[in-house]
Amino acid sequence: MNTKAEQKTKIHIENLKLWYGQDEALHGITLDIPENSVTSFIGPSGCGKSTLLRTINRMNDRIIGCRIEGEVLLDGQNIYDPQVDVVHLRTHVGMVFQKPNPFPKSIYENIAYAPRIHGLASDGGEMDMLVEASLQKASLWEEVKNKLNQPGTALSGGQQQRLCIARTIAVRPKVILMDEPCSALDPIATAKIEALIEELKTEYTIAIVTHSMQQAARVSEQTAFFYLGDLIEYGTTSDIFTKPQQQRTDDYITGRFG
Amino acid sequence: MNTANNPALQRRYRADRRFRLYGLLALAFAMSFLLFFFVDIISKAMPALQQAEVKVTVQYTEAAIENYNKAVSRLDRRVVSKSWLRSLPRLLRDNPAMIGTSEELWVLAESRVDQYLKGHDGHGLKAKYQKRVDVLQQQGYTRMAFNTGFFINGDSKLPEYAGILASAIGSVMVLLITMALAVPVGVMTAIYLEEFAPDNHFTHVVEININNLAAIPSILYGLLGLAIFINFAGVPRSSALAGGLTLALMTLPIIIISTRAALRTVPETIREAAMGVGASQLQSVWHHVLPLAMPGILTGSIIGLAQAMGETAPLLIIGMMAYIPDAPNSALQAATVLPAQIYTWSSESLRAFEERTAAGILVLLVVLLSLNGVAVWLRKRSEQTW
Repeated sequence: MNTKAEQKTKIHIENLKLWYGQDEALHGITLDIPENSVTSFIGPSGCGKSTLLRTINRMNDRIIGCRIEGEVLLDGQNIYDPQVDVVHLRTHVGMVFQKPNPFPKSIYENIAYAPRIHGLASDGGEMDMLVEASLQKASLWEEVKNKLNQPGTALSGGQQQRLCIARTIAVRPKVILMDEPCSALDPIATAKIEALIEELKTEYTIAIVTHSMQQAARVSEQTAFFYLGDLIEYGTTSDIFTKPQQQRTDDYITGRFG
Repeated sequence: MNTANNPALQRRYRADRRFRLYGLLALAFAMSFLLFFFVDIISKAMPALQQAEVKVTVQYTEAAIENYNKAVSRLDRRVVSKSWLRSLPRLLRDNPAMIGTSEELWVLAESRVDQYLKGHDGHGLKAKYQKRVDVLQQQGYTRMAFNTGFFINGDSKLPEYAGILASAIGSVMVLLITMALAVPVGVMTAIYLEEFAPDNHFTHVVEININNLAAIPSILYGLLGLAIFINFAGVPRSSALAGGLTLALMTLPIIIISTRAALRTVPETIREAAMGVGASQLQSVWHHVLPLAMPGILTGSIIGLAQAMGETAPLLIIGMMAYIPDAPNSALQAATVLPAQIYTWSSESLRAFEERTAAGILVLLVVLLSLNGVAVWLRKRSEQTW
């Protein structure tokens, strides 16, 4: 895969350091995420991969005592710039979480909520179309089209996670962050989500944190390996998994530690 | 596997059974007290639902306008209620045409007569009047009627005329004021502290103080209310407003603490979900967290209010433990509340007040139980919205 050089860089992370109180969790990460592709973050627990993912839509802002140095550029714009509005940023950078977390509202409301608060569609026919389109894109429409008024929380885990993806794409983001989206799902539901990621990458830039190296190998074009807050190795997925340059990477992907 | 021969396992099962038995015993012990209390209160309160009436001949004369005692025979004067006799002059002045007529009327009996007819010890009716009542009874001139007066009158020094209405209205007024103040302020405070406040020393100090305030003896709130609302702000003493404000102070910490607990049970993932789609913090709280926390908030608030409703100590200090014969027309007039009324009656000496005390307790219990019932119902209802 040599597409990386031709692709436009969507997210550029420059020497990013992050502290939780006194603890430095990220020690100067520099990383380019290309547009319309899937980049996976792998590494053992506590290596900072989720933390890094969350800096891209500033979810870490909520954490008390969390401090950041360095830059995260989205389309050349530093998202930590004081004039960047975090609410606006999150409409461009959506997020899917580890545990499916649909709102305790109807399936329809789950999708319609964000477009409504952002004024992306008016209630009625326009919203109906947006809800249908989002569910279609998330490959959930066929399963739920007759029960849009039922609670989203009544769906199965895999369906809930696809609902969360549909909810994210309803606000038409450019980037979708996925924090171990399949860790709470069974293999069949996981396969569906992976197929979905494959489809979504034509339109969206996707960054995914995963504990499953097979998953990283299956879905992503680029893979970044983190260890104890450092980016150890970053390259195309095939390179990382077939000819890693670093001994640590090799040890991790062959299962000698982690 | 033969467990019967395993002594260690048998011992564990025995310990298990023993523990369950202790639990049942404790429960039975508590239930027996409750049962005793209910049986006692209800059996004492039931007679208060009936009130004796006697049939007497009333002479509507000129003399009765000046001295109402002259309207009935000398013997009957101590048999009928003074509250009725006192109403006669006014009736005659308003209807002069009645003067010179006479009629037989069922009228409210005096409380001692009532107690005598109910066969209660210590009725205090003199022998001479006992005979008169016996005669009336033989003639069929006595009867027991439903005690509507108890529910439509205010307090009175004449027990047969004393009712619960004034204090019930006082209680409702106080409760409404408490609710209007404590619920919004308490819920807002809790939301701010839980969802918005920065994690610094100031917030910690506020939190510790709120937790301490919930454990302060309630009489101190009375002193606080007296100092702030009555002495400083000039709210009229004994008024429902002063009572409501004071009880609101007392209820605030309870509402804040229960609301915070309810907010804390809302999973963090819901906040993240809302933030993740670009909701502002206020939208995240208002649209997602608050609806989920609602059952807990409602339950906490209602229990706090029920506690305020049964409270007497702080009201003692601000002068609501008073003799209030008429229901207050406004929140600024002197008022009393149900528990205060019960206390006032319990310290009266006349035998007839005893059953009124019990009946008052019963009314208070019914009100409190219905409030708790509403809390349970609200909780169930808001939980059903998934």
